[in-house]
Amino acid sequence: MGDKKPILDLLQEQIVILDGAMGSLLMDQGLPAGTPPEIWNGSNSDKIKKIHKMYFKAGSNVVLTNTFGGSGLKLAAYKHGNNIEEYNHKAVSIALEACPENGYVAGDIGPSGAFLPPVGDITIIDFESNYLEQMQVLADAGVDLFFIETMVDLREAEAAVKAAKSVSQLPVFVSMTYKKTKRGFFTIMGNSVEQCVDSLQKLGVDAIGANCTIGSDDMIDLTQELNQLTELPIIAKPNAGLPQLINGETVYPTKSKDFAKDISKIVENNARIVGGCCGTNPAFIEKIAQMVKG
Amino acid sequence: MIFTEECKDAILRGNIDQARDLAHKVLDEKLDVNNAIDGFSLAIREAGDLFEEGEFFLPELMRSAEAMKAAMTIFEPVLKERKEDRSLGKIVIGTIEGDIHDIGKTLVAAMLSAEGFEVHDLGADVPISTFIDKALEVDANLICISALLTTTMVGQKKLIDSLKEKNLRDRFKVLIGGAPVSKQWVKEIGADGSAENAVSAVKLAKKLIES
Repeated sequence: MGDKKPILDLLQEQIVILDGAMGSLLMDQGLPAGTPPEIWNGSNSDKIKKIHKMYFKAGSNVVLTNTFGGSGLKLAAYKHGNNIEEYNHKAVSIALEACPENGYVAGDIGPSGAFLPPVGDITIIDFESNYLEQMQVLADAGVDLFFIETMVDLREAEAAVKAAKSVSQLPVFVSMTYKKTKRGFFTIMGNSVEQCVDSLQKLGVDAIGANCTIGSDDMIDLTQELNQLTELPIIAKPNAGLPQLINGETVYPTKSKDFAKDISKIVENNARIVGGCCGTNPAFIEKIAQMVKG
Repeated sequence: MIFTEECKDAILRGNIDQARDLAHKVLDEKLDVNNAIDGFSLAIREAGDLFEEGEFFLPELMRSAEAMKAAMTIFEPVLKERKEDRSLGKIVIGTIEGDIHDIGKTLVAAMLSAEGFEVHDLGADVPISTFIDKALEVDANLICISALLTTTMVGQKKLIDSLKEKNLRDRFKVLIGGAPVSKQWVKEIGADGSAENAVSAVKLAKKLIES
């Protein structure tokens, strides 16, 4: 790993490719429904390592640790709140073991699942301490950057960024989750793209963007909007369309080829960091990599 | 401002104190309770419409629902005394076992309650037997079961299968919810319906209970 250039330098030179979905691949391998995937960092580390390796092989420059739900609040909801350090530390070790010399490991941070009033009863201070705890473990274990994603409340994202900044100097990428409404893209809490960009830029994040909920087609429009609002590198990690349950099987309708075509338009809209969210797999990343190399 | 306008204003602003004050004013000044409730109800429906239009988001809708609930709580004892049952029906609602996502469910529960249903919210990660036991205990009309994950959605089928096994399927209507729920899934498992969002869920619940 020794001499590789910082991720922010790489970003100046090329489109950076992230990975695709993790949870659904784990379920394919037998992770029971309703079990936090982070548990497998301890008990099935070989399966997680294999998925990281598949993504690197497919062309990912960066993989995300299996820690999306690894914060104290989220694990406590699943009654696994005592294992934060173990799950997060192990997740980083696994990803580092799978990482080639020129690859990067991002500490993945998902939402806590808790909400501020009037929707829930959490406080901003709870958010911050929740993320401080997880991020300290991730930073100590040696991640190259933080990837804060799937945030639907700007105030929670802000708390996560502040926590990231206080535990280390590592780069911080933030990806919000928007819904397409009749009035444009908003988070379910009502944050506009502009509000998110303004606030997160002020906090000094290194890249900004969107993931989940919307498919690759709508992501084209969203990246256009982001492009008009920020000079920062733009992140786009869409879903493979909207999920459908057909005969008990979850099906994401967008095929990898069409997804990669959409990603090429997303890159034309100046997105610099691209990957896949729900419904994607290494085949999607392979198609994206071919397109980027072009 | 005329009184119904004030009611509307309190709900749309999600002002719980104002809604409470107005409800007390109705009782203190012996105004027509039903008239006031109609005013509040119109407002909560408008809040729902604003949500569907993308003008209101989760926090605004939750606040409106809570303001409505605050007013209704004050009217409740009076209505009971007069034996005027305005309850639209009894609903047991929760998120299925193995799934801790309860924000959508909570919003639907708040809107159902604001509209005048008696709502028993069991929370998240709820075993199927708990849904059924509670529905029997309160003599519910409707069971609403939410699942955000495609992997936990099978629990919705299990609930319906379990009701059938116990010969209780005809006793309760079952509404299912959650982002991945489709019309096809409703049909496949034999549920009574699903809705796109909290606002349509209330409309559907009313329709089902009337039928």
